[in-house]
Amino acid sequence: MALIEDNTGNWRVGVLFSQTGVTSGIERTQLNATLLAIEEINAAGGVLGRPIEPVMYDPASDPKKFRSFAERLFQVDRIRLLFACYMSSTRKAVLPVVEAHRGLLFYPTLYEGFEYSRHCIYTGAAPNQNSLQLAKFLLSAYGNRFLFVGSNYIYPYESNRVMGDFVSQGKGKVLDELYIPLYPEAKDFERVVARIKKTSPDVIFSTVVGSGTATLYRDYRAAGFDPTRMPIASLTTSEAEVAEMGAEAAEGHITAAPFFETLSSPAARRFVASFKEKYGADAPVTAGAEASYFQLHLAMRAVAKCGTDDPEQVLVNLRDSEFDAPQGRVRIDPENNHTYLWPRIARLDRNGRFQTVWNPGVRVKPDPYCVVQSLDDWSVDDLQLLHP
Amino acid sequence: MAIQILRDLRGLRVHVVHPPDSERTSLVEHLRRIGCMVETLWPVPECWSEGADIVLLAIEHDVRAEIQRLLKSDGAHRPTLIAVVSYEDPSTLQLVLEAGAVAVIERPIRPFGVLTNITIARSLWIERREAEKKMRKLERKLSGIQRIQKAKSILMDGQGLNEADAYESIRRQAMAKRLSMDDMAAAIIHANELLQYRPKDD
Repeated sequence: MALIEDNTGNWRVGVLFSQTGVTSGIERTQLNATLLAIEEINAAGGVLGRPIEPVMYDPASDPKKFRSFAERLFQVDRIRLLFACYMSSTRKAVLPVVEAHRGLLFYPTLYEGFEYSRHCIYTGAAPNQNSLQLAKFLLSAYGNRFLFVGSNYIYPYESNRVMGDFVSQGKGKVLDELYIPLYPEAKDFERVVARIKKTSPDVIFSTVVGSGTATLYRDYRAAGFDPTRMPIASLTTSEAEVAEMGAEAAEGHITAAPFFETLSSPAARRFVASFKEKYGADAPVTAGAEASYFQLHLAMRAVAKCGTDDPEQVLVNLRDSEFDAPQGRVRIDPENNHTYLWPRIARLDRNGRFQTVWNPGVRVKPDPYCVVQSLDDWSVDDLQLLHP
Repeated sequence: MAIQILRDLRGLRVHVVHPPDSERTSLVEHLRRIGCMVETLWPVPECWSEGADIVLLAIEHDVRAEIQRLLKSDGAHRPTLIAVVSYEDPSTLQLVLEAGAVAVIERPIRPFGVLTNITIARSLWIERREAEKKMRKLERKLSGIQRIQKAKSILMDGQGLNEADAYESIRRQAMAKRLSMDDMAAAIIHANELLQYRPKDD
């Protein structure tokens, strides 16, 4: 019976992004982009004539809820492909469920690396696709005395370890490493501001995620610090966090990501225009949204090719497949299920818009198990042209 | 030290001694993902290869004799050994222990845990090797001290010297003959043995 229903009904896919909770700002952009891609495919006649039907829940930025909704999706809703997760803690909660049901998770978020599951496709950046480029840029443009500020969970610790390694390669110094709770209070930011004042670093490397990001940037501005001399640099501060903090707090700070809303390529313009048309001119379009968008297209193209959403067959079809994503042509690496991406660095202007300051113009192979990366592997020559 | 082990993982030469099957394939794939240089070997080789830093050895009962022969072979190139097992019954465990494995990877192979096991195995093995080196050095030093002690008592008995003078006498002779104290002491003991020699039937 199930087989007949499968062949006539909709393609049901699982979608888990938080619409409430601490990281809902960014996750909503990922949800929006996933739904946009589904709408595009359905408008064009679906996959092999059958429409895609997203089955969604709100896991509220809570790993436990992520896990129980994932179980429900596989056991009750009978989905086989799942598009989900922002924080690593939620991915770690969902992945065992995906593996137990022999499903396939598509994870559209940068993360700290050191993971491989054949039941997961990673479409966000691994550290060798963003941290290395960011370090190179910061060391050459601002100096080598760093202060680290992060949320208290796995991603900030590992990102700081990686960044600390680059700083010492640049003969620099990590002045201090501060961690604030995932749900921070005012006093946590007071401590950070006091530490910035005391140490006066060249760069503040922030791995603060979620709604605390806006407070950090606002408090920084209120304390009267100068972002042209001492910027906050981040891998996670995206258009979504900027929308929360406002342009004034955002100006002058730096982010590394494979996609920014302001990219000028035709593919990027098309994607951003459709996104804004559906969700409004002020709806932020983030790198996480872009990954969510292209991974959905990539997945469903594979489903169309093999005529089934059986994860084993989809996986075989995805291997080595190329796709013209808004950021440029991407490709799933068959060795590690991560994605070849295009690193870029941007600075926020006075309107709170990311302006690219370094675009190496190279697609980088993912290397999720890279313990030590060498700064020397990257030339910063083309940076001089773009840096004012 | 800890981070150095992680740094050194890249480029480690890993030999996977394992029958050719899907388990070996997924193990090799993941080791390459981590960044190790991997070679596969089967059947079990006769002796340790010079070219391996780490050996992952499949503990298969049907080749028990071959595994034991490998374990008995010359230990000079003995690499860090990790056992790959499917069972944890006592006879398997006995083989794991006899092999001197410092970590165990279980089958079916799952990517998660391989990196941790390699890291811990490498760390333990380096620690163990350094401890052995230190112990050998201490043993040498201890037997040297014993020899000097013995040489001193020979001089004290035979020449009626006190302990300080006996020591000084050995030191002077060693310097004059450009020998170490230890060699000088050994020479004195040896000479004494020759002088003391009495045929049994006397």
